[in-house]
Amino acid sequence: MTAPEVQLSLDGIRKSFPGKGGPVPVLDGLTFDIYERDFVSIIGPSGCGKTTVFNVIAGLLEPDSGTMTFRGEVVPGLQGRVGYMMQKDLLFPWRTVLQNVMLGLEMKGVDRAQALDTAREYLSTFGLSGFENAYPKMLSGGMRQRTALIRTLIMDPDILLLDEPFSALDYQTRLYLEGVLLDAVETFHKTVVLVTHDIDEAVALSKRVVVLGNRPTKVKSVHEIGLDARSPIGARSDPRFSDYFQTLCGELEIQTRQRAA
Amino acid sequence: MASQALKTSQPSNPSQIPTTAQTPKASARTARKSAVRPRAKPGAVARAADTMLGRGIIQLLAVAVFFLAWEVAVRAGWLTEFLVGAPSGIWRVFLASMRDGSLPVDTWYTVIEAIIGFLIGTLMGSVAGLGLWYSAFVARLVEPFIVAINSVPKIALAPIVILWFGTGFVSKVALAVSLTALVALIAAYQAARDADPDLQALLASMGASKNRVFKSVIVPSTLPAIIGMFRINIGFALVGAVVGEFISSQRGLGHLIYSASSLYDLNTVWVGLFVLMFVGFLLYHVIDFAERRILPWRQVITTGQVQV
Repeated sequence: MTAPEVQLSLDGIRKSFPGKGGPVPVLDGLTFDIYERDFVSIIGPSGCGKTTVFNVIAGLLEPDSGTMTFRGEVVPGLQGRVGYMMQKDLLFPWRTVLQNVMLGLEMKGVDRAQALDTAREYLSTFGLSGFENAYPKMLSGGMRQRTALIRTLIMDPDILLLDEPFSALDYQTRLYLEGVLLDAVETFHKTVVLVTHDIDEAVALSKRVVVLGNRPTKVKSVHEIGLDARSPIGARSDPRFSDYFQTLCGELEIQTRQRAA
Repeated sequence: MASQALKTSQPSNPSQIPTTAQTPKASARTARKSAVRPRAKPGAVARAADTMLGRGIIQLLAVAVFFLAWEVAVRAGWLTEFLVGAPSGIWRVFLASMRDGSLPVDTWYTVIEAIIGFLIGTLMGSVAGLGLWYSAFVARLVEPFIVAINSVPKIALAPIVILWFGTGFVSKVALAVSLTALVALIAAYQAARDADPDLQALLASMGASKNRVFKSVIVPSTLPAIIGMFRINIGFALVGAVVGEFISSQRGLGHLIYSASSLYDLNTVWVGLFVLMFVGFLLYHVIDFAERRILPWRQVITTGQVQV
């Protein structure tokens, strides 16, 4: 295996928000690398600014200082190069499934006929044929999130930014969609950055886990996850799974009853 | 497109699929029961009446009973015709004024004043309100002025409007505009401000420009509120037209009502009122129809929902 190539590197990213008593620092010199075809999970205590990291990478927020380098080139943000997916499916209620999926292609100015073809192809790949003309309100939560995933993938983004995309779903649907995501990432050769509060999900899906500290946030540690099974259920049954899980719990200083005793 | 969407939705809609879950035993049991006592289930009558036709019959019946009671009360001398009029007299006035053409002309004036006032006021207000989305600074700057202007009862402007725009057609339109424009502005601005910021962020992350976000998020997500405001504004436009006619005019339903009431001609007043009611009713349903065409995605909500 050759040394992984760095795709995106964050270097000393600082960001503060105006508060009542002056600026409140949220990101305090955040530095980490994301490799080509990486699957990085970002975990950290709640309110540590995980979503802020995302918005900075997506180019929706400008950092106060620090640089981002994308494939050797300093960039202000990755607007138009990232696929953004959140806990809320963010489907446009006035658009049908097909029109929702086509949204990104429209923004890119892809020819309409071609966009239609591509959208139909993706929908059939992900088992949503027959729902092209349904409005999001008529779909189940899992189907909506799947539609959102297709909308993200169809734009062919360099990096997928997933902000707790499955945390509103029930466990079975979540396992299923995690599988869909892993398959899609393999098929389309994508880099994924996943923000999650779910250590279990981070270990099962990621190649690496970045642990953030309390606010103002710095990178506390980076863990390589060496599970070979590339399926969410397979990974969870790997004997090393619980070791990683324990380690990350320790990093987050989650007090379990055993420890307290 | 809407009908297509609805059609394809039906197979996926659980409420549309006939229930086949009943076991043969259970259905046999219910069959035996109904053979013994062939009686309609409770609520069957209510359900039969709750159709387009059933409701229409009940509603027409209610109206007939109301007018019959009124007529009987006047004939029996329980009510003074001089003060309340009578359905038969109203009908006579209606036919006569239809025949000599004065009622259609009056109606035409009022309706056109209201519709033009509605269109100008609503359009100007909506565009301005949505436009305020572009700049939070300008919006904050003008907000106190909007609140101040809006807190003046617009009817109080009527005398000035008549002075400025004369006693004819234009002053009634201007009054309707003054009543509708700010309502539209506030409704549109409020709706634009409430548009989901996450949807806007999503589009921005795709590299969309501000105009693009406006077109793809702000306009569609404010449409339900804006069309909802149309219903209120069509009523306000009629108020503007009629009040303008009350104050000074030669024509229109407001003129008809005002001059008839000063002559204690109650039957003519009622003709004016009922025609106004009919016009408002009609315009409301025009908007209802437009809403269903413009917002097909809002229509699917009710299908397959539990009724409480």
